[in-house]
Order: sequence, then structure tokens, then C-alpha cells
Amino acid sequence: MAAQPVIETRNLTIQFGGTLAVNNINLAFEPFRLKSIIGPNGAGKTTLFNLLSGQYKPTQGQVIFQRKDITRLGPAKRTKLGIGRSFQLTNIFPNLTVLENVRLALQSKAAVGMVFWRSWRSYTDLEDNAYELLKQVFLEHHWSNPASTLTHGEQRKLEIAILLGLDPAVILLDEPTAGMSIEEVPAILEIIQELKAQKTRTIILVEHKFDMIMKLSDSIAVLQEGRLICDDTPEAVSNNEQVQAAYLGGGVSNE
Amino acid sequence: MNSQLTPVQLDRISEKNNRYKKWSFWVQILLLAVLLAAPMMSSFRFMDAAAKIMIFTVVVASYDLILGYTGLLSFAHAMFFGIGAYSIALLSYHSASTHWYHLLLAVVIALAISVLLAMVLAFFSLRTKAIFFAMLSLALADFFHILGITWSDLTLGEDGITFSLPGILNIEWQGVEILGVHFGPRRITYYLILVISISLFLFLLRFVRSPLGRVLKSIRDNEERSIALGFRSFHYQIYSIVFGSAISSLGGILYGLWLRFVDPASVLGVFGMVDYLLMVIIGGLGTLYGSIIGVAFFISTQSWLPDILQTFADLFPDVAIMNRMADRWMAFLGLLFIVAILLFPKGVVGTVRDYLDKRKQ
Repeated sequence: MAAQPVIETRNLTIQFGGTLAVNNINLAFEPFRLKSIIGPNGAGKTTLFNLLSGQYKPTQGQVIFQRKDITRLGPAKRTKLGIGRSFQLTNIFPNLTVLENVRLALQSKAAVGMVFWRSWRSYTDLEDNAYELLKQVFLEHHWSNPASTLTHGEQRKLEIAILLGLDPAVILLDEPTAGMSIEEVPAILEIIQELKAQKTRTIILVEHKFDMIMKLSDSIAVLQEGRLICDDTPEAVSNNEQVQAAYLGGGVSNE
Repeated sequence: MNSQLTPVQLDRISEKNNRYKKWSFWVQILLLAVLLAAPMMSSFRFMDAAAKIMIFTVVVASYDLILGYTGLLSFAHAMFFGIGAYSIALLSYHSASTHWYHLLLAVVIALAISVLLAMVLAFFSLRTKAIFFAMLSLALADFFHILGITWSDLTLGEDGITFSLPGILNIEWQGVEILGVHFGPRRITYYLILVISISLFLFLLRFVRSPLGRVLKSIRDNEERSIALGFRSFHYQIYSIVFGSAISSLGGILYGLWLRFVDPASVLGVFGMVDYLLMVIIGGLGTLYGSIIGVAFFISTQSWLPDILQTFADLFPDVAIMNRMADRWMAFLGLLFIVAILLFPKGVVGTVRDYLDKRKQ
């Protein structure tokens, strides 16, 4: 049997008006594994993400994190507990430097945000660690530029570095390659693979690029119209008839 | 191990080493020298202008903390200033003779009231919308203005309060000679204001350059992202308003120390509020140093523009229109502000900084 899950959902349901965007979902995320969530547009992937990160509160059901019920906690508190997420639309501080974007995340983790009597530059370890994180995502040469000068793909990498700065136990990546040029995708792939290899964090990924999902995932959960129709290994999922019918219209291609 | 320093470490070291080589450091030293020497000039007006520049720099810089660094439009900043000014005026006026502990008490009372009011104001309005904060602060400020006018048993209404200060600050005090220079109560008060206002300004500088200041900056840049990092923006905004407002009330006490007179129009009125807004915009939002420039520009034009225009008019005694224009110097003041804002769209400091950054690249 699998290890105790880091995060799990129990009968998770959210209703917007008359539609059940997420309908009675039970999912368990095992420690240090990468689980992808796939499904056609409108299947409820991002809604499920928002429920996990606290942006939405469910109509019914629970979110359990490290055996604690966190269903009622807001996003800021969940971040503090160790659930970090990236957004589908790039979400950075555009007018701050690349380094400062990451440094702020480290500052949040170090819990010195209320200090007003010391200079921010006196926390040298925050700066140095931020630079190390930039190296991990291949952005160290841009450290002193405003984040808005980065290309779209670089901004997504910066987002991952910010996320790592928070040192979360669980990382939620919402379409990390969305809107990226084809040349930039391999670098993201490499970053995620490296993260997975470190075996220090649980990763939850929403992504459209099927070959990428097959390459990265330990397991895949498939959503359709708010329901979970399959949760299995990549091989089993790609051979699952229900998945093929619902999601891909028959016959999984590797594009 | 990699023994080479990273660019970040190099940058930090070079900043430390070049701290005293920067021109801005020497500008500050020069400014300090001018302020120290100001009371030695024979003209009282010069010392008066310098004292007011210091006092209002504190007030406008603390306003910049709220407006520029936190992005909240408060109309209650003059009210907090007035609370400080009135706390010292009322204590001095209503006690038989003024003692030093009255000054201390005024500081405590002003801080207590302004912290409490700022928290109430922030708490009730910030959770909803920023515009509601502006509206509520305006209503509260107006309430205090009316209170100052109508509660005449306490405040003497629109006539205002004239009061005296204790010990060596009292106008009656003879003064002392030190190295052949006479130090009377005016000069002593001036140097007291100098020490306190510079300390408060340095405190504000440290505040915006602290980790807390960095969070405020990040909230202004992208609030959603900042919350997602775990910074509860609401708390940080409350801190900023409370600190900014409390410092404004201390500025009010300094104003009381200098003038020994307060009335509702000059310390609680909405015109004062508009002046602060103008000064902070002319200097440059979110720069702190800009407040020095904004205030200095404002106060010195107000003090000397009438004279300058009159001098011009006297050169042409036969041209009637020149004399009439000199009488309406206020119109020129307005014109100067418009020109200043057109020339420096981001405020003086903001625009100059942008220009220097561009030249560097």
C-alpha cells in the first residue's frame, strides 16, 4: 500500500450557480511523487487547483494536508503551511527586479516581514539564497533586471523560482508551459525533472502537452465535467477506454 | 567549493564601499549644514522658512509612506497633524503654567489618539474598497475640523489658541551666550525641531528600506502575488497607515512648538490636506527625498514669491499691470505648480531618477 498521502481531497465538490464544476472528487497525493491532472477544457482542473490552494472554498467535502483539515483556510495561510502554487496567467512582480521577486518569497518563509527597524539589505542570506534559486531555473544572468523585461518563458521560470523560495512541501504547477514558445519548453521540462529527482517535494501538475505529461508523471488523474474518471499510472491511463473516449476522442497520439 | 563571489555579493560590497562616495550623500551633508546655519542669518524669515520646511517634510514624507509606498489615498493626514498640534496647544493653554511633562504628555496623547483613530479608520474601510478608505478618511477629517470650530469652550473656536511653552522654550527666557553667539528661545526651539524632525525622517527612511517596506512595495506592484507569497496585505496596510499617521501627529506637535498658536483652518482644514497632496506630487511619489524638495519648493515660493514680484513691479513703476500682478501673487503660485508638474510628471525626484537610469543604460 502507498505511503500516507501529503494532501488529499474527500468528496470535494464546488457548485457555481447550477453547475458542479468539481463533483465529489476523492484524490490522494503521495509524498515526493508527481501527479498530473488532465482533462478537456472546462473539466474543472483549474477549479480543483483553486480548491487545493485555497482561492475557492468548496460547497462540500474537505481538503486534508498532512492529516490536518485545511478546508477553511485561505490562500495566505495555506502558503505558510507549505502549499505553493503557480498561476496559469503569469503572476510576478513586474516592476521589481528578478532577484527581488525571489528574495521576497524567501523573506516570507523567513518570517521577517514585520521587521521595520533593520535594513532589508542586512539580510544577506536571503539575497544569496535567492541568487542560488535563480541559478536553478537558469535566470541568474538577469538578476538585476526588472522582471517585466523577461520573455514570457523566462517569467514562467521565475515563477517556479519564487515558488521554490517558499520551500513548499507541495507544489501546484498550473500549465507551466502555457503560451511558451517551442524552444523554451525543454528548459521547463528539465527544471521539473530536476525538482522531481530531488525527491523533497510533492508536485501536482496541470498541463496540456500530452508527451510531457507521459514523461514526467508518476500518476495521472483524469477529469471530465467535474468528475474524476480515472486515476492511475501513465500507461494505464493512456490505455483506459473511458479516457480515450471522453478526453481524446479515441486513440491516444503522442503528437 | 566555489570561492568566487556571486554578482549579488559583489553588488552588496560595492554599495557598502561607495556609500560615502555618492553625490547624494554630500547633498545631504550640505543640506544639514544649511539647516544648522539657518538661525545664524540675521533675517528671521529665513529661519522661519527653514523650520517650517523641516516640520512639513516630516508630515509630507509620512504622507508619502501612505500614498506613495502603500498606494492608499488618505484625506485624514491633516487631521492627524491637527491632533498633534491641538494636543500640545490644549494642554499648555488649559493648565495654569506649562511644564516639561506637558510636552511629554502631549506626545503620548497625540500618539495614542492617532494610532487608535488610524486603526479604526483602516479596519472599517480597508476590507472593502480603497475608494471607501478615501471617503471615510475625508468624512472623519471634516468631522474633526468642525469639532475644532464649534467646540469653542475647549478650542476657542476659529480664533485659535495662543499658548506659551516651558523653560528655555518660553519667549520670556533671556537666553545664553555660547562662543559669542546668542541662543534665545527661538533658536533653541529651532534646534529642538531640527533634531526631532531629522530623527523622524531617518526613521521613515529606515522604515521604507526595511523588510516591511519591501513587502509594501510588493503589495503596490502586485497585491495578488504578494498575498500568494503569504503576506497578508491588510495587516501591512494597517501598519503603514498607523505609522504614517502617528508621525504626522508628531509633526503637528513640532508645528505647535514653533508657532505657539493653532487654529482650525491652519492645522485641521482641508486646504492643508490639498497642500500636502501637491507637495508630495511635486516631489515625487514613493521617493521620500522628494518630500524635502516638494516642501522646500512650496514654502520658499510662498515666502518669497510676493517679494520677487514686487521687486519686478518696482522696476516699472509706471506700468500699472505689473503692480496689479504683484498683488495677485497667488495666481503665480498656482501657475508655478502647473509648470512644475508638467516639467516633472513623476515628481522632481522620480523624473530625475528615471532620467539618470536611462543615461546609465
